[in-house]
Amino acid sequence: MTTAGLPARSGSVAAAGALAAGFVLLALAGPLLVPHDPLAVDLAHRFAAPDLAHPLGTDHLGRDILSRLIAGARTTLGAVLVVLAVVVALGLSVGGLAGMVGGRVDAVLMRLCDVFLTVPTFVLALFMIGALGTGLVNVVAAIVLSHWAWYARIVRGLVLELKTRDYVLAARIAGAPRLAIFAEHVLPGVVPPLAALATLDIGHMALHVAGLSFLGLGVQPPTPEWGVMINDARPFFWTRPLLVVWPGLAIALAVLAFNRLGDALRDRLDPALVAGRGL
Amino acid sequence: MSKLASLAVAALLACTVAPAKAQQLTYSWPTNVGPLNPHLYAPNQMFAQASVYEPLVRYRVDGTVEPWLATAWTISQDGRTYDFTLRAGVTFSDGAPFDAAAVKANFDAILANRARHDWLDLARQIDRVAVTGPLAVRLVLKAPHAPTLRELSLPRPFRFVSPAAMGEGGTTAAGLRAPIGTGPWRLVETQLGVSDTFAANPTYWGGKPGFARLVVKVIPDPNTRAIALQTGEIDLVYGAAGQIPSEAFLRLRGQAPAFSAAVSEPLATRVLALNSARFPTDDPAVRRAINRAIDKDTLVRTVLDGIEPRADFLFAPGVPDADVGLAPHGFDRAAADALLDGAGWVRGPDGVRAKGGRALGVELDFVGTNAQQKAIAEVIQADLARIGIAVRLVGEEESAILARQKDGRFGLIFGEIWGPPYDPASFLSAMRAPSHADYQAQRGLPDKPQIDATITAALAATDPAERRRLTATILTALHEAAVYLPISYAVAIEVHRPTVAGVGFGATLNEIPFAAMRPASTRAAR
Amino acid sequence: MLRFALARLALIPVMLLGVSLLVFVVLRLGPGDPALDYLRLSQVPPTDAALADARAMLGLDRSFAVQYLDWLWRALHGDFGLSYATRRPVLPDLLGYLPATLELAGTALVVSLALSLPLGAWAAGHRGGWQDRLVRAVAVLGVSLPNFWVAFLLVVAFSVTLGWLPAMGRGTLAHLVMPALAIGLMSLSVNARLLRAGMLEAGSGRHVLYARLRGLSERAVTRRHVFRNALVPVVTATGMHVGELLGGALVVETIFSWPGVGRYAVSAIYDRDYPVIQCFTLVMTVVFVLCNLAVDLAYAWLDPRIRLGQDSA
Repeated sequence: MTTAGLPARSGSVAAAGALAAGFVLLALAGPLLVPHDPLAVDLAHRFAAPDLAHPLGTDHLGRDILSRLIAGARTTLGAVLVVLAVVVALGLSVGGLAGMVGGRVDAVLMRLCDVFLTVPTFVLALFMIGALGTGLVNVVAAIVLSHWAWYARIVRGLVLELKTRDYVLAARIAGAPRLAIFAEHVLPGVVPPLAALATLDIGHMALHVAGLSFLGLGVQPPTPEWGVMINDARPFFWTRPLLVVWPGLAIALAVLAFNRLGDALRDRLDPALVAGRGL
Repeated sequence: MSKLASLAVAALLACTVAPAKAQQLTYSWPTNVGPLNPHLYAPNQMFAQASVYEPLVRYRVDGTVEPWLATAWTISQDGRTYDFTLRAGVTFSDGAPFDAAAVKANFDAILANRARHDWLDLARQIDRVAVTGPLAVRLVLKAPHAPTLRELSLPRPFRFVSPAAMGEGGTTAAGLRAPIGTGPWRLVETQLGVSDTFAANPTYWGGKPGFARLVVKVIPDPNTRAIALQTGEIDLVYGAAGQIPSEAFLRLRGQAPAFSAAVSEPLATRVLALNSARFPTDDPAVRRAINRAIDKDTLVRTVLDGIEPRADFLFAPGVPDADVGLAPHGFDRAAADALLDGAGWVRGPDGVRAKGGRALGVELDFVGTNAQQKAIAEVIQADLARIGIAVRLVGEEESAILARQKDGRFGLIFGEIWGPPYDPASFLSAMRAPSHADYQAQRGLPDKPQIDATITAALAATDPAERRRLTATILTALHEAAVYLPISYAVAIEVHRPTVAGVGFGATLNEIPFAAMRPASTRAAR
Repeated sequence: MLRFALARLALIPVMLLGVSLLVFVVLRLGPGDPALDYLRLSQVPPTDAALADARAMLGLDRSFAVQYLDWLWRALHGDFGLSYATRRPVLPDLLGYLPATLELAGTALVVSLALSLPLGAWAAGHRGGWQDRLVRAVAVLGVSLPNFWVAFLLVVAFSVTLGWLPAMGRGTLAHLVMPALAIGLMSLSVNARLLRAGMLEAGSGRHVLYARLRGLSERAVTRRHVFRNALVPVVTATGMHVGELLGGALVVETIFSWPGVGRYAVSAIYDRDYPVIQCFTLVMTVVFVLCNLAVDLAYAWLDPRIRLGQDSA
């Protein structure tokens, strides 16, 4: 939900893109890249200082921190990507349906969205976890349920805007079915701004996942996750501050990278579509 | 801007100067202490109930009881009638006399709500309470019940509130008019989410508290509590080991004389129950192998920072009748492997054993928000993997874990820690109730009916030697069956600032001897 | 303006009704058993008889519609039931905790605006200079750092190491500094960046050029035209931050032992204390809706083009 600046400079965008790509790579190929088993408990080597075997040292159970950070990328970003996939799919179908069909269908769907949008997102996510129980799957469900309506709203707005364009009108006059018009003419216009919004939201959602995990409502052990790592490390902060610093830095870097990338994507968009859409 | 700055400075000064600090003891607790009804449970906090209300008899470290509000008692030959002589000259903090009528009014109020106390054998066993003199009370039981005196010493429900402070019609089940007891402290103020304040009871019959006020700040988070002690916002940390992270405890202990720290004798047991009615822990060899495969010494030294001693048995050594001379299972990985080999569990290519096509996998359930359970679970998982047992960790919220304990949907599960004065009698008694993890864990044992019958006999045994013999039989059977995995003996910890003196441990986890604490002499002289 | 405000006000009850139904449906469809949680929080062993009693007492044996209507009727009268854990009425307790949270979120908002506006203007005034780069770097970092992590670093720096600020509790201004900063950092960063961009954009607009040609002083131009125009997106963004600030307060309260609704709610969620979860969600929604209304009014005041009926999604 960040908003406009001047076009980000291409150098920093390239760096952000590379960093974001790096995080995605870690999330995808993490298990192949980790130097150690991120779950391997080794009580004889707890709080080991950084060395060649453990570049960032080990945690309170002797687990390799670097490996847990890498594996954590998969948990956090994986969760966020699942959320985004579901949210975008829901947004496209609900928003698309409302925008294309209009009338009563539109009114009903939008009132449903309004109900979800009336509750602050973090409160809604907390509520959903209260109802569903803790755990990663429920966190994903909670974040989906607290964000989908934003996407449905935005898709609907974009669809309404695109419907008035000449080429879409032409297709409608030619009698093409609505689904075909949506797929062939509207969707290509909806996807780019949606992609920008989704990229911008990766950071926002990653912070949500980490925040809920930090409160103990999210990911359950021994799954490595950045927010959990921070919470786990709190008791040891005075003696081993780096245990808290590393996962915090990982979150910050990932959020930073995806925010910059999202900014850059948004800057390339059709300004007429972007205007006034909370992008 | 400068105005704002001066405001901020003033505010900073204001928070460092507190009046009469030397006469005030500041402690902390995760929640407010509740309305302080001596006859009810949550949200009343036991340590606070025990500070305001007192029992007839008090539990001692050696497992016996000492006279308290009752100075003497006699027990009839058949074990059903208890005659108590009450302490003379005791008044409630509202001035009402503590006498036989007050005792009877309290028992009546408790028994009017008997269903609520169904978990406690004594509440079921009491037939009637009669006034036999101005300071004499008779308790008549339906059947002999050996742990009667010990159960009377519990923090709740058998404690005494001023009859004038009881609710409508002399009941307490729906609330009190005011929390008025005979104890050393009176509750004077509750600020929701902030603190509860107690004042020393000027009419207390026993020793006068050393501090005039006791402020209990609400601090839910153990890390924040450690910081609060370090920055002087509280004077004292006292309680179960989870009150502050063990790492913080060690750090503060290392900073003597800025802080004094101590660890109590073992008070309870940290234990996992193994489900004997469910695959694969229905195989005694698997249960024994699990008991031999955990390197408890390392676990205790690292995860628990050496604060709690290793546990080999279900009950801590100080628990009455519990030291029955058993041999510990003992850590021996090779022996654990041999047990599994002998029982036909063969290692597969992935290192996990299997028999008859079924992998040797077991589920360990724990409370996901409990950092200590979490760390212990992760270590057990790693240790069992080395003997070819795959452990699946299931971290859930407390209610889900409770539901699993109740209906036996667990492989390994963390058990409840009771500690004295509940151990051993009340704890053994609960093993017979299907809604307890212990019952579910033992359900698969061929001799479960005999175990239950022996427990029933032990609870009714009036002869101490007979009771000891029966308790030994039960504990031996459970130990041989290896349905428990004891981890460590839970202790209480305390850390205090040098401004406080006289900090010592009570006989149970739930009673904190605030009244014995006093301002350190250097400060008091000010 | 008045019509606009009234129309927005009239929509609120409808939305809240929808939210209440959503909350009720989701809680009842969720996997938990309120009766079991009720017994656990009362510390009563959950025997079958006790469960049946609890179900009858909580009215869970009635049909869903009856349960909802009964609950709604009571809720409309301010009765959200008793907390399972504390046995106290939920609404008064929640309203007792709410001021602390609003104080925290409100201070965070004030801190955000008080720091972001000068920072943004400063950066815009030194476009391309080190000042500009510094503010932009802070802004980029500020939206990326997890608030609970920042809070923790602040405690270690200012309470434990330097001893300047109290580590926990509420009471004086000094208690507010660290939590408000941790929560407000995100909003501060976004606003500084927005104001900077807005001022640069507005500064190149045609009406500013005319104002300069009319001979207005540079200072007057900046104040009257540039700043005011640049403020519009800041107000919009601040409206969107209200939810984030409240959410931030909920997370950070745990770290500072701040006696607000966040701690009350998070422990209710751990405990599955259903009446508290329900009431918390609705009360926070009301707060959120009222804040948004205030932002909309501010927006309408700044930009008279906003009118009723215009799709402001």
